[in-house]
Amino acid sequence: MARVKDYGNAELEEKLRDTSYYTDDSNPQFLEDVKKISRTAANMCFQCGTCTGSCPSAPRSSYRIRLFMRKGVLGLEQEALNDPDLWLCTTCYSCTDRCPRDLAPTDVIMAMRNLAFKYDIVPRNFLKTVQLIYNTGHGVPNNDVNRAAREKLGLTRDPATTHSYPEYIPGIQKIMDFYKMKENADRILAEEGQ
Amino acid sequence: MAETKEEPRIGVFICHCGTNIAGSLSIEEVKEYAESLDGVVVADEYQYMCSTPGQSKIIDAIAEHNLNGVVVAACSPRLHEPTFRTATEEGGLNKFRFEMANIRDQNSWVHMHDWKGATDKAKDQVLIAVAKARMLEDLQPKSVPVEHSALVLGGGVGGMQAALDLASAGIKTYLVEKAPTVGGRMSQLDKTFPTLDCSQCILTPKMVDVGRHPNIELRTYTEVENVEGYIGNFTITLRKKARGVLDPTEAEARGIVGGGCNGCGDCAEVCPVIKPNPFEFGMAPRKAIYIYHPQVMPLQYTIDFDSCVKCGLCVDACGPEKRAIDLESVDTFEQIKVGTCIIAIGYDYIPIEEKREWGYKQYDNVITGLEFERLICASGPTGGHLIRPSDGQTPMKVGFVLCAGSRDNTGGVNKPYCSRFCCMYSLKHAHQIMEKIPGAVPYIFYMDIRSFGKMYEEFYYRIQNEGAKFIRGRVANILEDPITKNLIVNTEDTLLGRPVSMEMDMVVLAAAIQPKPEAEKIRQMFGVSKSQDGWLLEAHPKLNPCGTTTAGIYLAGVCQAPKDIPDTVAQAEGAASAASIPIHTGEVQLEPYFAQCVDDLCAGCGMCLNQCPYGALDLVEKNGRTVMEVTEAKCKGCGTCGGFCPGGAIRMQHFTSPQICAQIDAFLLEGGEQ
Repeated sequence: MARVKDYGNAELEEKLRDTSYYTDDSNPQFLEDVKKISRTAANMCFQCGTCTGSCPSAPRSSYRIRLFMRKGVLGLEQEALNDPDLWLCTTCYSCTDRCPRDLAPTDVIMAMRNLAFKYDIVPRNFLKTVQLIYNTGHGVPNNDVNRAAREKLGLTRDPATTHSYPEYIPGIQKIMDFYKMKENADRILAEEGQ
Repeated sequence: MAETKEEPRIGVFICHCGTNIAGSLSIEEVKEYAESLDGVVVADEYQYMCSTPGQSKIIDAIAEHNLNGVVVAACSPRLHEPTFRTATEEGGLNKFRFEMANIRDQNSWVHMHDWKGATDKAKDQVLIAVAKARMLEDLQPKSVPVEHSALVLGGGVGGMQAALDLASAGIKTYLVEKAPTVGGRMSQLDKTFPTLDCSQCILTPKMVDVGRHPNIELRTYTEVENVEGYIGNFTITLRKKARGVLDPTEAEARGIVGGGCNGCGDCAEVCPVIKPNPFEFGMAPRKAIYIYHPQVMPLQYTIDFDSCVKCGLCVDACGPEKRAIDLESVDTFEQIKVGTCIIAIGYDYIPIEEKREWGYKQYDNVITGLEFERLICASGPTGGHLIRPSDGQTPMKVGFVLCAGSRDNTGGVNKPYCSRFCCMYSLKHAHQIMEKIPGAVPYIFYMDIRSFGKMYEEFYYRIQNEGAKFIRGRVANILEDPITKNLIVNTEDTLLGRPVSMEMDMVVLAAAIQPKPEAEKIRQMFGVSKSQDGWLLEAHPKLNPCGTTTAGIYLAGVCQAPKDIPDTVAQAEGAASAASIPIHTGEVQLEPYFAQCVDDLCAGCGMCLNQCPYGALDLVEKNGRTVMEVTEAKCKGCGTCGGFCPGGAIRMQHFTSPQICAQIDAFLLEGGEQ
C-alpha cells in the first residue's frame, strides 16, 4: 500500500501522512510476545475502558492504557513501543484490580516496556536511573539535604543500605551486568550524544 | 330500544395508580367534581383500585348504594377493564354496566407537568364516562363452539414446534407449508450457536415427527387461498399447488396400488432441464423435477412446471409400477375447518445488493450469511469447503460485516431495527473458519456485539480467544481489486480513532432481515395488524406476545419480530399453548358488541354488506320484507355498517348512538372551558 506521497518536504510529509490502519501494519508476533511476557491474555481485551477510567495517570496526561491494549491486540508494535506515554504508568495496578475480563493491563504495559528496551526505546530518565543504581545501589541516591534531615530526626546520616555497606555494590553490579543493563544504558545515552 | 328506564345510580372510583396518576393531578378535586354530577350517588378513591381492597370498594358500594352503573377512572381498558368488569359482576351487576375513564395513559402520563390542566381534563373524562354510564344496559356475551382442530401456517422450526405441541395435546393440526418440504430456514443452516449443534441433525427429528404424527395433517407445497370465519370456526381454503408427483396415498386413490413416489430419484437423473437450486441460493444446479436435499419431509419429488418441458423422460424412468408422475397435474383446492390458527411464516433477507457500497452481486467474493452457511455445510454445494466464488481458492482473511442494513434509519432497503441473530451467527462463522482452515483469520467489523442469550456472551469470549479479530466500526464501503478479486474493506477503528483499510479475501454480509413479501397478503386474510416495520403485530409486546388483536389467531417465530431459534421455539410453544386453550375449553365467549338491525328501519338496500370487513352481514326475508341480518359470531362491533347505514337502522350494542351523543353532549354542554 503506497503511503508516501513524496512531497519533498519532511514536515509536509509528516502532516499529510496516511494514518489508516492497513492489514500489513500488524505484527501478530507482537501480541504473542506481549502475552508471553505479561502472562495475561492480552488478546481478550474487549475495550470497555475500565482501565483508563481507573488510571490515576490518565486524567493528568495523554496516557490511555486502553489504547495500548488495543494496539497490542492489533499488533501495532512500532506505534505502541514508540509512544512516550508507555512510560507514564505508575504501576499502581488499579486497572488490573478492576478489569472485568480479569486481565492485567499493568503487566501488558510492563511487557511492552521490556520489548521497547530491546529496540533501545527507553526514556533518558530511566537510563539515568539504571546508571545510578549501578553506581550507588539506589535509583534515588542519598544527598546532603537528605542527610541533614536524617540527622535532625536522630537517624544515621546514611541508611543501612549500600550507602552504609558499599561492599555490596559489586553484587548488584554483577546482576545488572548479567542483563547488560549498564552497558546498554551507557551505549544508548552515548548514541544520543550524551 | 331497551334503554334503561330506571333512575341512574352511579358510583365513581378514582385510582391514584401510586403516583402515576396522583402525582400529576388532584384526585381530591376530581372526586369532589364526580360527586357533583347528575346520577352519581357515590365517589371514592384509592391508591390502587385494581388491588383486592380497591375492588372490594366497588363491590361493597354496589350493594350499599344500590348502584346500577360503575365508572372507574384509572388506566387503560386494555389493561384493567376485565378486572373491573369482574368486580362489577361480583357486586351483583351485569358486567357491561361498567365504564372506564383512562386518566393515566391519556392524561397524567401526557400532562405530567400541568397539574391544573390534567385535573381539568380528568374531570371532563369522568364527566363523559358518567354520561355514558347513565345509559348503559345489560348485555349478554355470546358463546360459540370451537372446532377441535388448528391450522399452523409455515413449516419452519417454529411452525413444526407449534404443530407438534398442538397435535400432542390431542388437537388435529393442519401444518401448511408453501415449499415442497418442511424445515424452513433452519434446514439451510450448517451449525447453530452457541452449542455448535448441527442444525439439520437437531431439526430432522422434528421433521420426521411432523411427518408421522397421527394428529398432524401435513400439507406441503400448499398455500392458504382464503380465510373465513372467526375464532372457533375458521373455514380455510388451501391451494395445493400442482406438484406433478403423486405420493403413495394419492397414487392408491387413483388405483395405483403400491405406487407413488418413493424418493428414489430416478426421475431427476434423466431430467434434461437444469436450473439453479434456490435452496442453495443458486450455487448448485437442480433439475426440473427435484428435491431440496436428501432429508426432505415428505420424501417426494416435485416438478417445477415453470421450467419443465414435459419431455416425459421422467415418466418412463419412474416406471409402470410406481406411476408417480403426472405431468398434467393442476392446482387443487381443499377446505378445512379449524378453531384457531398460528401464523409462523418466517422471514427473508433484505435485497442487500441495493446497498451498492458493499458490492454484493457486483463483487464475486462478497456473499451473505446464508450463502456462507451453504458453503460451509458438508451437504452444501462445495461439500463443506469454503471457497472464494471468484477463483475457488480457500480464503485466509474473511471479513464479516455486521449490521448490514440493520440499525439503519435511512430508509430504502435499510431497517431501523436490530436483526438480533447476526452477531451470533457471525461469531459462529468466525469459529467455523478457524476450525476448518488452519491459519485463517476472521475479521469481525461490528458496532456492538449483541450476545444477549444464554451462553452467548461466553460464546463471544470463546471466539475471541480462538483468535477472531474484532474491529469496532461499521463498514463504510468495500472495493474490489480487479486483478486479485480481493476486497478492500474501509471503516474506522473507533477504538483506535483511526481509519481502517483492510484487504480481505472474502467478505460475508450479515444482511438485515425483513418480513416475507407474502406476509402482507397473509395478514390481511387473517385480519392481523402489522407494526411500523412490517412484522406481524402481537396483541401486547410484553403480556401477549403470541396473540393478535384478532381472536383465535396467534403468531410464532420471526414473522412477529427478529428472533433466533431458541426464542422462535419458545414462542411457538407459547402460541401452541394459547391456541389450544379455546379448543380445549370447547367454547369461546364473544364480546356482545354486535351490530343489530332494527328491522322496522331497514330498507333492505344491502349497501352495508359490502362495507363489512368481516362478512358478518346478510340479507334475509323476514315477515315478507328483505332486511339485513347480523351473524353475531362474525361481527367485531367495528361500527362500519352502523356509521354507514343511510336509514340509521343499525344499532351498535354498547356504543349506541344515544350513548355516544350523550358523551358528546356532556362534554360540549357541561364540561371543558365554558
